[in-house]
Amino acid sequence: MIRDDMIGDEMTRFVRAILVSLVCVVMGTSVSGCGATDALLGIHRAPKAKATSAPLTVDQAKRILSRAFTAAYLGETTTGAAAQGKLRTAYTGEGLRGVVGRVKLASVQPRVATSPLQAPPPTLLAISRGFGFPRFIVAQTVASEGGLPILHLLISPDAATPYRIAMSVEMAPPATVKPFDPLSQGSPLVSNGTGSLVTNGTGLAVAPATLLDRYAAQMAFPAKAIPKPPFAADSFSGQVRAGAAGVAKAVASQATFVQVHKVVPHSVYSVRQASGDALVFGVIERTDSFKVKAGQNVNTVANKAFVKLTGKKLVTKAASITTLEFVVFAVPRSTGEATLIAAREQIVAGSGS
Amino acid sequence: MPVSPRRALGAVVAVVGLVLVVLGGWIVVQLGPSGEARFSAISKAPGAIVVTSDVLNTVDVPVRVTATRRDRGAVRLAAAPSTDARAILATSAVSTVSGMHYPAGTMDLRASGSGALTDISTADVWRLASRGAGSAGLVVDQGRGPETVVVTSGDATALTDVTVTLTWADRAWFFEALAAATIGAVIAAFALNDLWQGRVITAQSGVAGTRASRGRHDPRRHDRR
Repeated sequence: MIRDDMIGDEMTRFVRAILVSLVCVVMGTSVSGCGATDALLGIHRAPKAKATSAPLTVDQAKRILSRAFTAAYLGETTTGAAAQGKLRTAYTGEGLRGVVGRVKLASVQPRVATSPLQAPPPTLLAISRGFGFPRFIVAQTVASEGGLPILHLLISPDAATPYRIAMSVEMAPPATVKPFDPLSQGSPLVSNGTGSLVTNGTGLAVAPATLLDRYAAQMAFPAKAIPKPPFAADSFSGQVRAGAAGVAKAVASQATFVQVHKVVPHSVYSVRQASGDALVFGVIERTDSFKVKAGQNVNTVANKAFVKLTGKKLVTKAASITTLEFVVFAVPRSTGEATLIAAREQIVAGSGS
Repeated sequence: MPVSPRRALGAVVAVVGLVLVVLGGWIVVQLGPSGEARFSAISKAPGAIVVTSDVLNTVDVPVRVTATRRDRGAVRLAAAPSTDARAILATSAVSTVSGMHYPAGTMDLRASGSGALTDISTADVWRLASRGAGSAGLVVDQGRGPETVVVTSGDATALTDVTVTLTWADRAWFFEALAAATIGAVIAAFALNDLWQGRVITAQSGVAGTRASRGRHDPRRHDRR
């Protein structure tokens, strides 16, 4: 009888202990229930965006290049509204202005270069770093039958606007492009004001905006002296100045000739390279202005591009021709001169009276 | 009679084991052998449907997002970095998945914005995209987060009456839960056995002690006399 009582007491205590513990555990798990389930399922906070990663994958960038080059090829090799649409799909900004001029003048100007699509697949050189805008893609193509390598800059100004070709420029031999950071990290854009005054170690020998402004200024005709130019002498600007001098001499008896070069606003993009140097892309607008002397008539038939653009074979008062100059510079990180590594020019407009 | 620390510890261990059995077993039943957790919601508000990184990138396994239109119209799903998706949708009317309920398998949707939806398909920010007639699915892998999935009609037409389902599948979850239940059962069995053995020994000691004391002095016998 006593033994049964004691066993009963033990059982009661045992059951009570179990129940109390169970209640405690249930209360505890109900309070932290979500956390327990989350932990079991491996649920954690969403990661934060990495400022040092590329917003595009390599596959995405290659698809974009393929789409842009396909549209560019179709736009340049077909006619009509559909072709215009393809060009607007492929190009943007001054790149579009340039290609429209090239298509318009295709019958009177030699082809500048083989279409990028007829070349082997483009080499993806660099893509943006971080999630800011504008974003860019830098690519290079080399025509399968040889010729000069072409550097392409594609720009996306905002999230809703696709990447389009801002410029395609032939490289000047024997120029090369130094490597960029790995594509998975992307390459940062350099502020156009980043120059030698920047003392945090990320500066450049010359600020991109200053470089382009001074480069444009030194190509003016009549020539202006540029003290201590921050760029090395190159054949492109030499040819432009020689051409201007030749034109001025040719029309001297009939007209006065002035040539002005001005950097197109918002056309300068500078991409940092792995070495700390930068590749600077820019567009300069050249305006050739003729003022016909009193009592003179200028026959423009020989200038097929001018006739094609204006429909005028005779100018009695004034005329102008607008040409875009696409240039790419390699700018050293700390000291030294910038070097022109690629350049192209394209007549885009003309007027005469 | 005070409870010995050993027995108290045994009771706690037994309860922990039982809780593991119950919790593990429950999750095993909920997830199934495929280890699949599924949540869905029906969006009636017109506009796009957005699944943000707070839902999409909170686990380490791929997430399958499926959208089904009741009217069998076109559906397009696309995933982009969250900042880009936010910039594109900006003021557009959207329903955002704002909460999930487990094990109910339901999701909360929060409507915001009132602007018309622009055609987002031309943007280059979309890392993944999928389209279909009536229904479409997209598997978003992890590692490039934070990303956001946007469900649209594929053009500027607003969506209405769309069922969105999110599915996470990881067989490891099933086996982890099974292991938890098994370990809990083993722990509970040992603890209960120990408690039971201790109870018998205590009871027997108590009886023996009582008999011994009776042999020396039994007041009740004197009383009876």
